[in-house]
Amino acid sequence: MSIVEFRKVTKRFGQLLVLDEVDLAIEEKEVVVLIGPSGSGKSTLLRCINALETINGGDLIVDRISVRESRQKVRLIRQEAGMVFQQFNLFPQMTALENVAFGPHRVRGLSRLEAREQALVMLAKVGLGDRVHHYPSELSGGQQQRVAIARALAVKPKLMLFDEPTSALDPELRHEVLRVMQALAEEGMTMIVVTHEMAFARKVGTRLIFMEGGKIAVDGQPKNLLDNPQNPRLKEFLQHVA
Amino acid sequence: MDFEWSVVVDALPALFKGAQLTVLITLAGLVGGLVVGTVAGLMRAYGGALMNTIAFAYVELIRGTPIVVQVMFIYFALPTLADIRVNPMTAAITAIIVNAGAYIAEIVRGAFLSVHQGLREAGLALGLPTWKVLLYIIGPVAFRRMIPPLGNQFIVSLKDTSLFIVIGVGELTRQGQEIMAANFRAVEVWSAVAIFYLIMTGTLTLILRITEKRMRIL
Ligand SMILES: Nc1ncnc2c1ncn2[C@@H]1O[C@H](COP(=O)(O)OP(=O)(O)OP(=O)(O)O)[C@@H](O)[C@H]1O
Ligand SMILES: [Mg+2]
Repeated sequence: MSIVEFRKVTKRFGQLLVLDEVDLAIEEKEVVVLIGPSGSGKSTLLRCINALETINGGDLIVDRISVRESRQKVRLIRQEAGMVFQQFNLFPQMTALENVAFGPHRVRGLSRLEAREQALVMLAKVGLGDRVHHYPSELSGGQQQRVAIARALAVKPKLMLFDEPTSALDPELRHEVLRVMQALAEEGMTMIVVTHEMAFARKVGTRLIFMEGGKIAVDGQPKNLLDNPQNPRLKEFLQHVA
Repeated sequence: MDFEWSVVVDALPALFKGAQLTVLITLAGLVGGLVVGTVAGLMRAYGGALMNTIAFAYVELIRGTPIVVQVMFIYFALPTLADIRVNPMTAAITAIIVNAGAYIAEIVRGAFLSVHQGLREAGLALGLPTWKVLLYIIGPVAFRRMIPPLGNQFIVSLKDTSLFIVIGVGELTRQGQEIMAANFRAVEVWSAVAIFYLIMTGTLTLILRITEKRMRIL
């Protein structure tokens, strides 16, 4: 059974059709890299998975639960699908440690102490063991994004969604975030990543999906597609991002 | 004319009593006003169409009428209309609750809506229900932004209690009025009354300053 399964999923914003009967199955341990021109529906596809957007047609099953189920069931999906945002979205009133301990305590119901310990482990894992008492405003963009990754991981999700996690970062800060993501992939985490980092797609991705106009235009092996794109639109797109 | 200090000294006990009532009305009124304002503000910000309309109507009704009219209505019109009899003190506190509540509702709504949408999404994405996102994530950020406008409202409400002279509550202004009627020493009495108000509003300002300093404004 696939961990994520789109069945003819349609999503509209008013008149605008953003996802057009998308069919897509993602298996555990896959690292799916999602690319495509601006406005092609990449973020929307990602946000439908954890029901931050509600779908208008078809069905979408995540970890055996449909996003159309009750709010309570949808919360279970969200606990299993961690999300990392382009703008980090850290809680500004909390330190790095409090940000990361928040999920285990408030969502998973761990005691404060257990949550704190788990948070320390997660922060060490993303290389921020020495920054735990800093507030987000006291951290660099790359550090903030790594805290955000730790925050999502601390809830122990089965699946991680990344929406352009390095786009808001200066080029020299990107690699520290990408390294953490690569380590995560190597541990066997299932990941869906919207990114323009083609080197990451080639090295870490197990699957590359090119979206265009709300449809999946190309779906295949990253190396094959990047070295030898058959689809003319993909070819053109790759020339622009390279 | 010369300033007769003995008049002030003689007036002090009565003015203290009045000031106590002023503080009591303000405190009780603002505690209630904060509760009402928070509920109404959240209804405005996150409620469905019906909740939103109810809260909107309340805010507009109160903001569109003077507080003197509101307290007169509570004290004189309610008994006739609904057979609800209240003493002046209850009417005064109720008036502050209802009046401050409407203004606080707008402060609460504005502060919550000013918090970046991404924080709400980050909270929801962790698998929290909306009310917990509001309570643990948005609320604390919004609260810090509310402190300056809330302080302003607290001071306005404190001074508004002087208008309850119209229903005969023995608060500070009323006490001043009564002393004045007996001794006709307007300069001494009203100077003393003004200083009492300044001390109370000054204390409030100081408390708010300290609270603001202690919190990181986000
Ligand atoms: N909340 C919204 N309301 C209305 N339209 C929206 C909303 N969110 C996205 N859209 C529109 O839906 C389309 C797809 O948006 P989406 O964000 O999924 O694109 P994207 O592929 O992620 O683009 P980008 O690379 O610029 O992030 C765009 O035309 C966008 O303007
Ligand atoms: Mg996007």
